[in-house]
Amino acid sequence: MASTLDTEPEDPTTGTPPNAGTQTGASIAISDVTVAYDSPDGADTPIDAVRDATLEISAGSIVALLGPSGCGKTSLLRAVAGLERPRTGSITIGGRVVSDSHTWMQPERRNVGMVFQDGALFPHLTVAQNITFGLRGSANKMSKRARTKQVEEMLHLVDLDEFGDRLPGTLSGGQQQRVALARSLAPQPSVLLLDEPFSALDAALRLQLRAEVARIVRRIDVTTIFVTHDQDEAFVLGDQVAVLRDGRIEQVGTPDDLYRRPNTRWVAGFVGEANLIRGRFDSAVDGATPHEHVGEPNNTSGVQPNSLVANTLLGPVPLSTEQGRAHGDVEVLVRPEQVELRPGDCALITDVEYYGHDVRYELQLNDGSILAARATSSELYENGDRVCVRFSGGPTEAWPTAGSAHSCRPLPTDFRIG
Amino acid sequence: MPRAARSAFTPNRLLSIVIGAAFAGPAAFVVWRTLRLGASLPDTLAEVPAPLWRTIQLAVLVSTTAAVLGTGLGWLTTRTNLPMRRVWRIVLVLPLVLPSFVGAAAFIAGLAPGGIIHDALDVVGIDAPRRFRGLGASWLVLSAFTYPYVMLPVMARMVGLRSSLEESGRLLGLSASATFLRITLPQLKPAILGGSLLVFLYTVSEFGAVQLLGYDTLTRVIYATRQTNRALSFASASVVLILALGVVALERSQRGRVTPDERASPLPSRTIILGWRAIPALLACLFVAGIGLFVPLLSLGTWARRGLADGRVSLSDLVDPAISTATVAVTAAVLAVIVVLPVAIGSIRRPHPTSRIASVFVIGGFAIPGLVIALALAVMTLNTPLLDRFYQTMGLLVLAYVIHFGSQALAATETAVGAVPTQLRDSAKLLEPNWFRRTWRVDLPLMRPGLAAAGGLVMLSTLKELPITLLLSPIGFSTLATEVWSSYEEGFYAATGLASLVLVAISALLTWVLVLRNSEAVSS
Repeated sequence: MASTLDTEPEDPTTGTPPNAGTQTGASIAISDVTVAYDSPDGADTPIDAVRDATLEISAGSIVALLGPSGCGKTSLLRAVAGLERPRTGSITIGGRVVSDSHTWMQPERRNVGMVFQDGALFPHLTVAQNITFGLRGSANKMSKRARTKQVEEMLHLVDLDEFGDRLPGTLSGGQQQRVALARSLAPQPSVLLLDEPFSALDAALRLQLRAEVARIVRRIDVTTIFVTHDQDEAFVLGDQVAVLRDGRIEQVGTPDDLYRRPNTRWVAGFVGEANLIRGRFDSAVDGATPHEHVGEPNNTSGVQPNSLVANTLLGPVPLSTEQGRAHGDVEVLVRPEQVELRPGDCALITDVEYYGHDVRYELQLNDGSILAARATSSELYENGDRVCVRFSGGPTEAWPTAGSAHSCRPLPTDFRIG
Repeated sequence: MPRAARSAFTPNRLLSIVIGAAFAGPAAFVVWRTLRLGASLPDTLAEVPAPLWRTIQLAVLVSTTAAVLGTGLGWLTTRTNLPMRRVWRIVLVLPLVLPSFVGAAAFIAGLAPGGIIHDALDVVGIDAPRRFRGLGASWLVLSAFTYPYVMLPVMARMVGLRSSLEESGRLLGLSASATFLRITLPQLKPAILGGSLLVFLYTVSEFGAVQLLGYDTLTRVIYATRQTNRALSFASASVVLILALGVVALERSQRGRVTPDERASPLPSRTIILGWRAIPALLACLFVAGIGLFVPLLSLGTWARRGLADGRVSLSDLVDPAISTATVAVTAAVLAVIVVLPVAIGSIRRPHPTSRIASVFVIGGFAIPGLVIALALAVMTLNTPLLDRFYQTMGLLVLAYVIHFGSQALAATETAVGAVPTQLRDSAKLLEPNWFRRTWRVDLPLMRPGLAAAGGLVMLSTLKELPITLLLSPIGFSTLATEVWSSYEEGFYAATGLASLVLVAISALLTWVLVLRNSEAVSS
């Protein structure tokens, strides 16, 4: 992976794109960016789509902007492309400021490729003409022969060798998106932006194309930002994932960070399913004086000495945070797969969803609260079975109890669409 | 669909053949007649090139101007933050309600001493041009009233155009203006070509305005020589016909291979911020609307007000023409819908070569100038022993309207027929065996909106029609259009103004009901 291009000598006035010719990613720095739209027809107050976003992206990495629809992720992407001018803040690509309060580089000079949700292939041009489209710009003029060669390479890269003479209208949705990818990569951009490029495709095709795109993007080492509302997609493709909510970046981290150590309850519920279980902070050194709970009384599995522990209905749960220590009452994040089931009489199974590799159960505990659990399918329970539950897993997150929360409630889990 | 009905000549198909033949009749007659008068053909052909060249000059100039104006204004009013663009979207389409001969009369009357343009120029200290005629004047007048034919389809296309295409162009290295030329314009090409074709045809068959403005096009020759030199008249009519059909064929072949964009619904387009350029843009809109709408209406209004004030004209003079206009327009509308209905049923329910050919003939009617149809029907009836009693009767007049405007009714009628799908008719058959009651209770209510639209379009065109009415109407019969015409020829501008305003008011009302109310998608 190449370092950032700050050191490359370049004339800031000509707008020559950085590293034209060599295909290497550029680092991106977004700081305090706010993007606002005029509210449609009438009202004077602009609507903020993105507020004070700050994000550092190292050269060659893949970053996912993840969030529910309308959270501002596409606006942030468009600001990087230069299709939207931020009201405040600055954006730097490859060490060069492309946007701040007194600099504005036009999109065609940023050396940025973008694949739109709808592919945006030019319907009046053939596949090959679409791909060469960006090779005629003054920034990277190519000889005719070089262009032909580049088209062949790009078609090969996206596995559409024989399709050069076809018109976009005759291609399937997945093929169109691959041509769109080839077109955006042909001018050898230093940054590739993908705006929900798979969302218009059906599920099977989406999986296949996403793997293919990941392979291509990693191979050519271009810095990539992609927008998605699909948590799986973000986790599978992204080196880093930035979770956006209502125009703000809630958390940035590796997929594992986000899953295991979410900053907020909202992130916890957005990336995967989350049970929030009421507990009481207990800093007892041995953690061996459990309060009343429904699990097996003497089991302290997963709780190491000297660690932070909360006592819950599921027994003692190791914590990775001191948040809420002063408060005493906390809500503990328990992922469904961290709930271990065994025969007993502490909870009733009210729902079973069989997925093959695992099974999701919904349980009603004796105090009436609902809990989600996931277990391998090797030991199956049925609807109406009675079981006992306990926590099983590594240290997890907790937050001070807010108001009168239920003792245990799964967050709304399915923000994912499709 | 029952298999048994596959014999080649069902009643409906026979009917379609008859109707198609009736629509093709006048054009065929003109060509046949021209060839039969062949004795003087070389002489007459020597007289055609000059007016032909003038016609082509005017048609090319007007359609090019309309293409540029229509595209520019369509873009301004849909894609930019032009102030009050919702209002402009309606105001800039309104010149359509002015028949071009009314517009021409309004300009001439306005430039005459006492006219509003004359007086306004006087205030500034400029002498009004003495003569307002010829190529320049015809170009100005026709362009000002025809550009909406391009603007409307361009607006519709712009609204459906994905802005991601233009943004991709930018990201692939094009400047904003290069993006417009290389990405946006090719997408608009079918809309621009289709609209310009209409304008070209409109100009080629234009009669009233060029007659008033003294520009000798082919139609003027046809009209002037229809009694004195029939051979020349027919030769000119044939040339107009060939020109019109040739242009239609050319446009069809040039429409390009752009496939309609049927992918996911278009994302909302980004509005282009005009900044300081909003001022020249506003001035341009104001100028175009001024020439096409405000100045002519003011000019007509001034003369009408003056005439009303000194009692030389009154609205009661127009009651009879208004009633006959309404009568003839409604009759033509109802008949046109009834006549094209079998063709529509044939092409929608049971597509077959005969119905396809019939519908091509009906649609082709739009390319045949009204004057040519009128000439053909007049000569046909006058020279045929048994038919001559039909010359200058209401029947022949309405028949001419139906042939001329049937094409406008066909598309909407086909929509109406399509509104009753086969399954629905089948289930209605099971529930209500009586054909008559079934038609009354199921088919007609479902088809009503489409049929009403079809009839409305024919009505709108009929009330603005001039050459057919002039040539074929019974002695003493006058419509608002002929009233405008004859009062202008007498130099009685006050009467011209009043009759024009009434005509414009009625057609504006109809246009609003038919066009603007139905194109809410464009105006939202």
